[in-house]
Amino acid sequence: MKKIKTTDLLETLKADSRQIILQTNYLFREDPETLQKQPEEGKWSVAQVIEHLNSYGRYYLPLIEVSVSAPKFPPNEFYKAGWLGDYFTNTMKPKNNGQITNKMQAPKNHRPSRDLNNDVVLKEFLRQEHLLLDLLDRAEKVNLEKNRIPISISRFIKLQLGDTFRFLIAHHQRHFVQVNNTLKGVKQIQSDALRLHGV
Amino acid sequence: MEDLKVLYDFVNRVHPLKDEEWNEFAAIWVPVSYKRKAVLTAAGETERHLYFVLEGVQRAFYVGSNHPEATIVFTYPYSFSGVADSFLTQQASKFFLETITASKMLRTTYHQVQQLMDKYHNFERWVRLSASYSLKGALERQVELSSFSAEEKFKTLLTRSPHVLQIIPHKYLASYLGIDPSTFSKLLATVRL
Repeated sequence: MKKIKTTDLLETLKADSRQIILQTNYLFREDPETLQKQPEEGKWSVAQVIEHLNSYGRYYLPLIEVSVSAPKFPPNEFYKAGWLGDYFTNTMKPKNNGQITNKMQAPKNHRPSRDLNNDVVLKEFLRQEHLLLDLLDRAEKVNLEKNRIPISISRFIKLQLGDTFRFLIAHHQRHFVQVNNTLKGVKQIQSDALRLHGV
Repeated sequence: MEDLKVLYDFVNRVHPLKDEEWNEFAAIWVPVSYKRKAVLTAAGETERHLYFVLEGVQRAFYVGSNHPEATIVFTYPYSFSGVADSFLTQQASKFFLETITASKMLRTTYHQVQQLMDKYHNFERWVRLSASYSLKGALERQVELSSFSAEEKFKTLLTRSPHVLQIIPHKYLASYLGIDPSTFSKLLATVRL
C-alpha cells in the first residue's frame, strides 16, 4: 500500500464498514431457515460465518478500544502500512472482481458451532460493527503506526493499529463474499427441493 | 470557487445571511466525491455530516425485516443531503443514506454548523427556516402516501418533479411511492399527465 492521508484511510475503512452494516441489515429479512442451512456438508451456514466474525471482534475490538482510549503518540498526517500488516490484509481482501481465490482454514477456536440463534448472532455483529465505526472515529486522535496490537494467533506478532483495522475489515469483506455465495447455494437447494415435490 | 457561488444563491433563497456570516459559513465546507452505491450513513449511526450536492443522485431508505425497503427521500443537484432528522437531533439514524450514482458534494460537520449557530442568531434562523421547509415537504408527502391512490401518487410526483424519471432508476421511484415496481411500469405506460 502506498502512503496515504490518514483521514482518507479512516474514511475508506468507515465507508467499507457501513457497506457491511447495510448487507447485515438485509440478512435480517432472510428466512430464518435459510440462515441456518449449510450449502454443503462441512461448509458453514450464514449464521456460522457471522459467528466466526463475532469471535474475532470479541478478541480485537477490546484491544483496539484500549489503544484509542489512551493516546500515547500524536496522530500522523500520512499513513504507511507495515510490511506484514500489508501482506495479511492483501491475502485476506477479496480480489478486485469480488472473488476469493485463496482458501484459508479457520483456527480451532474460531470455528463456530452449528447451534446458533440467528437473532443473537446478527445483533451481536451489528453491535460490533457500530463499535468499530466509533473506534474508527476515535482513531483520528491517535497514531496508527506506533500503536500496535498483537494478532489473535500469536501475542508475539504485533500489527500497527492502522493495519489491524485494515486486516479486520478485509476479513469482514472476505466473509461477506462467502455469505452471498452461501445464500445463493442454499436458495438453489431450497428451490430444487420445491421442484422435486412438484410445487 | 464556482460551487460556493451556487451554494450562496441557494442559501440566500431561504433566508439572507450577512457577509460576515456567509464568509464563515463558506469556510466550513470541503469537497468530497463518492463512487456509486457508497453508503454515506448507516442505520444506527448518528449523522455527523451535512452535504450540498453538486453532482449525482443519492437516496435515504429504511430497511426492516419482512417488508420491502422504503425509500424516504432522493437528493440531487442542487440541494442539501444527509439524514436530516439524525443530523438535527444528533440521535441514531433509522435510515441508510447511499449514492445511487457517482457523486460530488460539499461536506461539513454538525460540530461546525453548531458553532456558527451559537455565534450568530441570524444563522440559527436560517437553519430553523431550512428545517421548517423540510418539515413542510415531509408532511405533504405524508398525506400523499397515506391517502392517495397509486395513480394519484404517480401523477403528483411526475407533475412536481418530471425530471426524476430520467435520473432515478424506476425501482427506486416505485419504492419512494410505496407501490410495486410492476405497477409503476404499468402506470408509466398508461397514465396521461
